Amino acid sequence: MTASDPISRIGRFFAWSAAVLVLGPLPVLLAVSTSPNWQRGPWVGGFTLRWLIEAWERIAPIVSFSVQLALIVLLIDFLIGLPASWVLARRNFRGRQLLLSLTILPVAVPGIAVGLGLILAYPTLKAGGWLLIVGHILYTLPFVIGSLTPTLADAKLREQETAAETLGANSLQRLLFVTLPQLRRTLTAAAVMVFTLSMGEFNVSFFLFTPNQKPLPVELYSGYITGRLEVAAAATVWFLLLVIPAAVLIERLGGSRLRGQA
Amino acid sequence: MRRWANFSLILPLLILLAAFLLTPMAVLWVRSVNIDGQITLNIYVESLTNPRYLTAFANTALLAVASTALALLVCTPTALYIERGRRESWLAVALTIPLSLPGIVIGFFVILVFGRTGVVPQLFESLTGQRQLSFAYTFWGLLLGYFYFQIPRVVLVLRGAAAGISNDVLDAARTLGASSWRLYTHVILPTLRPALLNAASLSLATAFGAFGTAATLSRGFRVVPLEIAAAFTENFEPERASALSLLLAFVTTLSLVGVGRLGGQRIPQDSQT
Repeated sequence: MTASDPISRIGRFFAWSAAVLVLGPLPVLLAVSTSPNWQRGPWVGGFTLRWLIEAWERIAPIVSFSVQLALIVLLIDFLIGLPASWVLARRNFRGRQLLLSLTILPVAVPGIAVGLGLILAYPTLKAGGWLLIVGHILYTLPFVIGSLTPTLADAKLREQETAAETLGANSLQRLLFVTLPQLRRTLTAAAVMVFTLSMGEFNVSFFLFTPNQKPLPVELYSGYITGRLEVAAAATVWFLLLVIPAAVLIERLGGSRLRGQA
Repeated sequence: MRRWANFSLILPLLILLAAFLLTPMAVLWVRSVNIDGQITLNIYVESLTNPRYLTAFANTALLAVASTALALLVCTPTALYIERGRRESWLAVALTIPLSLPGIVIGFFVILVFGRTGVVPQLFESLTGQRQLSFAYTFWGLLLGYFYFQIPRVVLVLRGAAAGISNDVLDAARTLGASSWRLYTHVILPTLRPALLNAASLSLATAFGAFGTAATLSRGFRVVPLEIAAAFTENFEPERASALSLLLAFVTTLSLVGVGRLGGQRIPQDSQT
C-alpha cells in the first residue's frame, strides 16, 4: 500500500489520534506536578519541584515495600512456574488442558472477586501481608507460565537438548548449558512483566492491604480521592518513572502478547 | 517413577490453585447461599431484582459495550496501519503503554484532562469565558477511561491478524475498481472477523471486571465492581459482595468464552485478560 491510498490515510488518522490520546496526559501530568498552584494555571508563579520532593518523601517507604513485594512474588512465581511450565510443555497427561485453563483463570476472574474470596477464606492471613503476596502470585503467575510454556515446547530447543544428550551431557548440564540460556530472553521478559504487574496491581490488593503493608497503587488512589491534585500528580510521576521504562523494555523483548487487568 | 517426578514438579502449582483460587471461590459460593444457617438463593434473586444492583449491572454492560465498540472502530484501522505500514514503530510502542498502567492512574489521567480543573475545561474557559467540558466524573469520563485501557488490548489482538492480509488481494480488488469502503466491507473485515471477535471478547471482559478506573472516576455512576466493594466495606454484607462477585466472574468468563466461540475458533491462550 502506498501512503496516499485511502485505507492508509484513515489508518494514519486513527493511529495518530490514538497515540495523542494515550500520550497526551503525560505532559499534563508533568505540568500539574511542577506548577505552584494548578488552579491558577500551568506554571503561574514559576516552576517548582516542591510537589515532587514532597510526594517522594511521602511515598518512598511505600515504594520500598512495593518493590520488596514484587521481588518476593517474582521469586515464588519462578519457583512454581518454571517446573510447572516444563511439565505443561513437555508432557501430555490427563487434565493438562484443565490445568492450563485453571492457571489462566485468575486473570479472567475480576481482581476484586479474587481479593474478596481470599479475604473471606483466610481472614487471619491478612496481617503480615501474606494475602497480598498470594494475591499477586495468583495474578502474575499466568503470565510466567503463559510465556514459558510455548518457549519450552519449541521443537528447535528440544532438538538441541537431544543433541547435547547424544554428546554425553547429563540432565543437569543440559538444563544449565542448553535450556536455561535459550530461555534467557523469555525469562527476562516474564520477570519484567511480573515486576510491572505487581507494582501496578490495585484490584486484588484493594481488600488485602493493611496500614503497614500498603502497595504503591493503594497510596496513589488515596491521593487521588483526598489529596492535593499537585501532590497526587507528582506521586504518579514517580510511579510512571518506575513502570514505563519496563513497559518499553517488554515491548522490545517481544513480550507484548501478555497483558493485565484494568 | 517418571510419572511421580512430573507430578512433583507441578505439585506446587496444584497446591497454589487449590488453596488460593478454588477454595476462595468455593467460600464465595458458600457465603452467598448460606444465610443464617439456611441454604437459599435469595441473595441472588434479591440482587437481580433490586433496582440498585440492576442499575449497576445495566451501567456496567452499557460501559463495556460502548467502550468496546469505540475501541474496535478506532483500533481496526490503527492496527492495519501499524502492521502493514511497517514503519513508525514508536507508534506501536506508544500504544502499548496503557497495558502497564493501573486503572486508577488511567482514571486520574481523565481527571487531569477533563476534571473540574482539567486542562481542556481551563483551555475552553480561557477561549470562551465559560468553563465547560469537565465531564470526568460522568458516564463520558468513565467511557473515555475504559476506552483508554482497551486501546492496547484491541490493537495487539488485531495486529497479528492484520499482518495476514495479503497485499495482492487488496491490489487485485482495487484494480477491479473496488472502493475503499468495499475493500473494508468485503476483504478486510471478513478476514479479520475471528480476531475482531477475540478482541471484542477480551475488551468486554476487561471492562466488566475493571475496578480501579471506576473507583477513581465514579461519583454516582455505579458499576458492579464498585457495588462489590461498597457491599463489603461500607454495608458489611459479605454475602451480597460474594454473590455479586460470582455473578460478575460469571459474566466476564462468559464474554471471554462465549464471544470468542462465535468466531468458530478457540480463543488463543494469550488473548485472555
